[in-house]
Amino acid sequence: MRLTVNGRVHEMDAAPAVTLLELLRDRLSLTGTKLVCDRGECGACTVQLDGEIVYSCLTLAVACDGAKVLTVEGLAPPGTELSPLQRAFIEKDAAQCGFCTPGQLIAAHTLLAQNPHPTDDEIRAGMSGNLCRCGTYPKILSAIRAVADAGVPQPADHHAA
Amino acid sequence: MPRKSKPPAKPGGFVQTTVEIEGRTETRIVEMPAFEPAAWGDDAELGIVGARVPRMDAPERVSGRARYTADITRPGMLHAYILRSTIPRGKIRSIDLARAAAMPGVFDVMGPGDAPEGARLFGREIFYAGQPVAAVCAETERAARNAAVAIAVEYDALPFAATFEDATAKDAPRVRAKGNVMEIAPLVMSRGNIEAGLKAADVVIRREYRTPVQLHTALEPHGAAAEWEGDRLTVWESTQGIFRVRENLAKALGVPLSKVRVIKDYMGGGFGAKNSAGPHTYTAALFAKRLGRPVRCINDREAEQTDSGNRPASTQRVTIAAKKDGTLTALFASIDIPLGITGYEGGPGQIYHEMYACPNVRTEETFAYVNASGMAAFRGPGYVEGAFGLESAMNALARELKLDPIALRVKNFTKREPRQDRAYSGNNLLRCYSEGAEVFGWSTENRKPTTENRPLVGKGVAAQVWPTGGGPPAYALVRLNPDGTIDVLSGTQDLGTGARTVLSQLAAEALGARLSDVRAIIGDTERLPYTGNSWGSMTTASVGPAVRMAAEDARNQLFEAAAAMLKAKPGDLESRDSRIVVRDTDRSMTFGEVTKALGNVMIMGKGSRGPNPADTAIMTFGAQFAEVEVDRDTGVVRVTRFVAAHDAGRIINPTLAESQLEGGIIQGIGYALFEERVLDRSLGLVMNPNMHDYKIPTMADIPPIDAFFVGGADAVANHTGARGIAEPPIIPTAPAIAAAVCDAIGVEQLEIPLTPWRVLAALRTAERQSVTPSQRPGPPRHRP
Repeated sequence: MRLTVNGRVHEMDAAPAVTLLELLRDRLSLTGTKLVCDRGECGACTVQLDGEIVYSCLTLAVACDGAKVLTVEGLAPPGTELSPLQRAFIEKDAAQCGFCTPGQLIAAHTLLAQNPHPTDDEIRAGMSGNLCRCGTYPKILSAIRAVADAGVPQPADHHAA
Repeated sequence: MPRKSKPPAKPGGFVQTTVEIEGRTETRIVEMPAFEPAAWGDDAELGIVGARVPRMDAPERVSGRARYTADITRPGMLHAYILRSTIPRGKIRSIDLARAAAMPGVFDVMGPGDAPEGARLFGREIFYAGQPVAAVCAETERAARNAAVAIAVEYDALPFAATFEDATAKDAPRVRAKGNVMEIAPLVMSRGNIEAGLKAADVVIRREYRTPVQLHTALEPHGAAAEWEGDRLTVWESTQGIFRVRENLAKALGVPLSKVRVIKDYMGGGFGAKNSAGPHTYTAALFAKRLGRPVRCINDREAEQTDSGNRPASTQRVTIAAKKDGTLTALFASIDIPLGITGYEGGPGQIYHEMYACPNVRTEETFAYVNASGMAAFRGPGYVEGAFGLESAMNALARELKLDPIALRVKNFTKREPRQDRAYSGNNLLRCYSEGAEVFGWSTENRKPTTENRPLVGKGVAAQVWPTGGGPPAYALVRLNPDGTIDVLSGTQDLGTGARTVLSQLAAEALGARLSDVRAIIGDTERLPYTGNSWGSMTTASVGPAVRMAAEDARNQLFEAAAAMLKAKPGDLESRDSRIVVRDTDRSMTFGEVTKALGNVMIMGKGSRGPNPADTAIMTFGAQFAEVEVDRDTGVVRVTRFVAAHDAGRIINPTLAESQLEGGIIQGIGYALFEERVLDRSLGLVMNPNMHDYKIPTMADIPPIDAFFVGGADAVANHTGARGIAEPPIIPTAPAIAAAVCDAIGVEQLEIPLTPWRVLAALRTAERQSVTPSQRPGPPRHRP
């Protein structure tokens, strides 16, 4: 199968039961994406697949043949600055332990790509599939708010596109 | 009662001091630091301490670069999976490991008898569902898990007890080898005379409150990777206490302490559940030893939600008695706690003795063992459960006396810590009440009737106390590198709290360095000096003073070295922004210029945490205010507004500290509204060991939160002026929300979580009865 991950093309084989998450973490060493619930309940494994968010723990790798994937590592490839959303997460202190953060970032990134000027309620609804146990929700909300209000286009779409 | 600390001895001498850890008081012998920096009071001119600087390791956390335990890979690493019991009590009649051992990719299998005694793993007798019975080690996690399914276990089931009532019944089955009830039961704490207090009262209220089992649900599960090099063991562990894990491993495996190294870089939350080594740690270390290859063992979510600790449930029968003016005359609670198969006596009782100035207080706590996974400390252990009973009873009393619940609390404010009759190092609880109320817009007068509106709206308040003094032993080194940058070295942990940032700020302030020149290196038992577990809201107040002292020691050495270069006396030098200036001159050198001139001569400051002040209560206080909407058709409760005011002494980084407040409140909202581990009484199994059926709050559940600090530096507590803050904010959240629901619907809420069906039942009660709550008769076992 062929998979484009963060703009890089990979030719690889995957057994039928292997998930996209396993492929990313174990085969491509992209460990930013986390395994938490392993059944699509928490959103920690969220990645972008052809422009839409998916739970990579529930997505079979073989079903992604020909697809384009964006992970947290793709938001700021080596040698580039952090994305506006990542910088806003730092500025607003939207990451405590940071374990849910990669999934939150991809969900927020995709939300803003699809709805550049969301209301607070649209952000709350759009982000409610990504759980955080440290309680960073108010700070994540204000980080997304700040990026949306600044009207900064999300730059990393050159990978997903 | 703790013994008094002796007056400070000479530097280097040893003294006795007391340290409070999550309500437990420990006496320790500690050496006097070589010098004690002057305390930073409110008048100290500080630039970096107190500043809202961004979390220093945030770039790693937002980029996916931060390496957590499950991200650790080692050459040749294998994966282990633990098979767990499917019954709550019994004996293994037979277990067949051969089929699993023959599965593809499998390297090794362990079962009963394969682990050393000290690891307490893979026993033949089963005490709870989820208990480890065997483990598989294979090339991949998937192969290990698949093979574990092939292990055939036959059990002889025995009767079990899953509830307090079942475990303490006359003909109760034997929950474990020793008794079903903790030996100290009932644990009695008492002051004054309850009977006298009841006689003196104008009003007596009796209630029975119930709290559920809450699961930590850290997003990163428990996990470890282990590797042996000869007789030396290295373990990467997601833990709140690297030195404690080292001690656990050495003891369990019979290895000298010096041969075990524990590393923890980043971790994905702990909340009290990650204070020790566990089955995953021993399993990884044992397989690694047997196979001569690195082994990683990470809990899956079901194991995490079944067998990695919990906040135990409680039933609290409370009697609260007062004069008409609200003056408390008696406070009594008889409390039942089903611990699980293991646990300790950190129960709900203590906060009853510490919160208010009541002269007559008595708690009787009975801790029972039940056939379920053992409890573990969970953010504010005991006080969270106790606050639900105590603060709900205070709110009930306020309703009965028609007093403002804040006025009632102010009336019973205590100027001295009443349990041990000690002075406070500082106490701004009254300001928490007044400033919190002002920000919230608290008023119990002129409330509009809400009967015509929907949803119903209500407001509630509750308060909190928690010991946060920290204490010794804790050590730090601060070294200057030849390029003028600074390393802070301390064997502590950052759970996501911001410890790296806070310790760096303290070092930069004390050295007069730029914060960007400072790096905190933590989390390695072999290469860093000792600090204790990051529990009990202790890290800042324990490690912070050691870091400040180490930085001042380094600065003194730096000034000695620079004095000759600048042709000045060390006493004439001062430093700021990593530059040393001769006072009242234009002569100066940067740190980098001095260290470059020194070459590889190393400036290294040493710091240690001194003893705590004698006979002093060092505590964090707070008051929280909730507004809720209750949907009268569905029973759904939404928190619509939340205000929290806390006093924790000096705040080193307000942004990070406010994140701690919000985090505690959000976990408290979960505790109040959704979270409840369901253990089936007839099966003895956890029915919701996942994140769908065990509900933690989502972003959509969280209202605007205004959480802030009142008060200032606590120069008595320690020389940084800071107390702890991590646990306090979860303590009063649930009773504040329950009071708001009561305010909305007119019926007291005696049991959490306030799920829709529970609230609907209360709404039906409200319809049947008058809106004022009737006084419930005390249950039969209740006295006095």
